Formats: sequence, structure tokens, C-alpha cells
Amino acid sequence: MSFFFVDPDTYEKHKDAVLAESQSIQVNYVEHLPPDKRKPGLSDKQIGEKLGLDERTVREIRCVGEREFYAIDEYERAATFKETQCRAYAEQGLSAITKQYVDRARAAKKGA
Amino acid sequence: MSARAAETPEPTAADAKRQLIDFALKGGALTAGVADATAFTAAPEGHRPTDLLPKAKAVFVVGGAQPRAADWQSPMASFMEASSTADRINALGLKIANSIERQFGYYALIVPAGIDRGGQPFVSVALAAELAGCGTKSIAGPVLHPEHGFMYYSALITTLDLPADGPLVEPACPAPQCVDMWEQEGTTPCLATCPIDQGGCLGGRIEDGVIAETQYDRARCTTRAQTYWVPGFQKALGAALAEKDTAKRQMIINSSGFTRTLWSMTYSGVSQSQCFECMRVCPVGQERRQLK
Repeated sequence: MSFFFVDPDTYEKHKDAVLAESQSIQVNYVEHLPPDKRKPGLSDKQIGEKLGLDERTVREIRCVGEREFYAIDEYERAATFKETQCRAYAEQGLSAITKQYVDRARAAKKGA
Repeated sequence: MSARAAETPEPTAADAKRQLIDFALKGGALTAGVADATAFTAAPEGHRPTDLLPKAKAVFVVGGAQPRAADWQSPMASFMEASSTADRINALGLKIANSIERQFGYYALIVPAGIDRGGQPFVSVALAAELAGCGTKSIAGPVLHPEHGFMYYSALITTLDLPADGPLVEPACPAPQCVDMWEQEGTTPCLATCPIDQGGCLGGRIEDGVIAETQYDRARCTTRAQTYWVPGFQKALGAALAEKDTAKRQMIINSSGFTRTLWSMTYSGVSQSQCFECMRVCPVGQERRQLK
């Protein structure tokens, strides 16, 4: 029994198109937006029909492409991001994010 | 019809729904509702309730099992990375499914919490929660309950024809504070925490007090929400296999990051979601998180 995987050349050739069509970076993907604004991305089957590939090949290209999209460094940055945000919230609450906004609003009030 | 069924008149659909909602609330749910199984037209083909259970009539959704107020206050990000309570709401969903089958005699199939072979949800539980009126989708992505804010949901698909609730009319997001912030600063707490144009995952626009546009970098969110889970493991394994120096390879395999990843995968039920930063700053339900 062999293990199914996509040939690297096929992957390189189609990965950008597959990721673009599947909306790995989703813009207006959410379901509640009006139909004229919504861009739900295509299913693997639909992408396959468009690119002349079978559904399983598209699925494999998409899964590998999504995993390769960011290098391992991004995982390290993710850990730092969470530690920084979490600690700032514990120390300052919501104002860790909104402080700049609150300060400006207060200054505007004083000025008024 | 069995002798037992003949003795007891079948409850009306409305009665059955009321009983199931009572059961859910007594079991710890904060909200429960019903979506019409045929209303999932926004979901891709192959990911609709009738794809899992062809004669499905309704989708029953329960929500709850939120992180406790204290969880949000801990300064240690790794605490919430390892303390998800999503499995509790799934356990309740499973109990309700059993109740539908045993008490009412209809099929009830719980939507698996995991993903299919293509890394997609079998059926979007978030969409089910919206269609059942349990909450509305936020600009950050998660479905927010208007009073309780962020919570976990479980959905079960059933052939029992329960009356549907339908989506909420008033969206929970954006909160009035967020509309105010947007009008003055052009951002919201969640978007400011994780801005897509500054190396984050989220973008969007509010227009006339409602969400007019959303942007979401799913791949980057994966690095944050599953830093030490399957994606992190695949990355670390790739780095270890690519390293030709045996001593260095050993350092990678025994590193704190690789070890943490293996622990997380072992306890997968409580570590599938590892980033809460956009929800930590969300004002919806925030007052319930402020204790003494």
C-alpha cells in the first residue's frame, strides 16, 4: 500500500492558484455578509474543475500549502505575541489595547 | 410502532424542543437553539448537515463551557493554551444526542469537534450556532453570544423536526464601545490586538454600526492558535529531519518547544485552541469576567 502525496513539481506549479482560490487569506468569507459582498472561496472540487486537477490532488496541495505558508519562525513569533498580549492585559486590562484611544478621548474632553 | 411508543403519545415538536432546551440548560449550557438543517446554503457542498445525515431536519446547538473569569486574568499565556474547556460542551452535546435517540426515537448525530481529511470542519459549528440564534459572528471570527460573549458550541444533527429559531436579528458584534472606537480610531480592540497589516490575522471595516468587511489570515492564525499542536509538530519535525548534524538534531528533538508540542497533542482535547488574544479584549460579555 502506498502513501498518497502530491508530486513536488505539481505542488509548486499549482500551489499559488489553489491557495488563492481557496482563500487561505479570507476576505469577506463570513456567511452573514450580503451575497453581493461575500467571497466564500471555492471548494477543492470547484478548484479542481477550474485548474484541471482532481479533487484529492487539490486537497493535498491546499493542505501542504497552508502548512508551508508560514515558516517555523512564525511559530516562535506567535509564542512571543501571546506572552506579550496576555501579560499586558493582566497588568492594564482592556486599556492595554485601548489606552491610546482613551488618552486621546480624555485629552479631547479636557480641551473641550 | 412499538408497544411502548403506542402507550405514550409522541410529544409535539415544540414540546420536544422545550424539553431538550431544559435538559441543555440544566446540563450547564448557557444557550441553546435550533437551526433548520436546510438553511446551511452558505456552507460549501459536502459540509452541510444533510451531507452527514441525509434525512436531517434540524440542528440542535448548545453553547457554554466558557473559560472562567480567572482564566482571562492570568498573565501566563501558556495557561490558557493548555486549559480549553471545549470538550465539556461536546460532552453535553453527546448527552443530548443520546436523549433524542432514546427518548424520542429519532437519529441524532453529533458534529465531530475535529476536522475532516482536508482540514475542514465536517459542518461549521459556528454557522450552526448563528443559524440557531445562539450568537452572531464577530469581526474577529468567533460567534459571540450577546450577553456572555465568547463561548464554545456543540451541534448535533437530527431527523427530529424541531422548530427552528433562525439567526438573531441584532448582531452581538460590534459592541457599542467598538463602534465608538472605530469611529474615532478606525480600529476595534480585537483588530488592534492582531492587525493583519502589521503581522497579525485580523482586518475589517465597520460601516453604519455593522460589520461591512472582514479579513482573516487563516494560516497565520494557525501559527498562533495551534503553536504547539499538530502544525507546530510538523514544523519542528521538518526542522529535525532537515538537520544533518546529529547533535543539533538531538537538541531540536529534546527542545522545550518540541516537547511542549508532544504534550499538547497528547492532551489534544484541552489544547486544540491556543490563542485567545482577540477574545481577551472583546467587550461583549466583559462585565461577567470582572470579579473581585
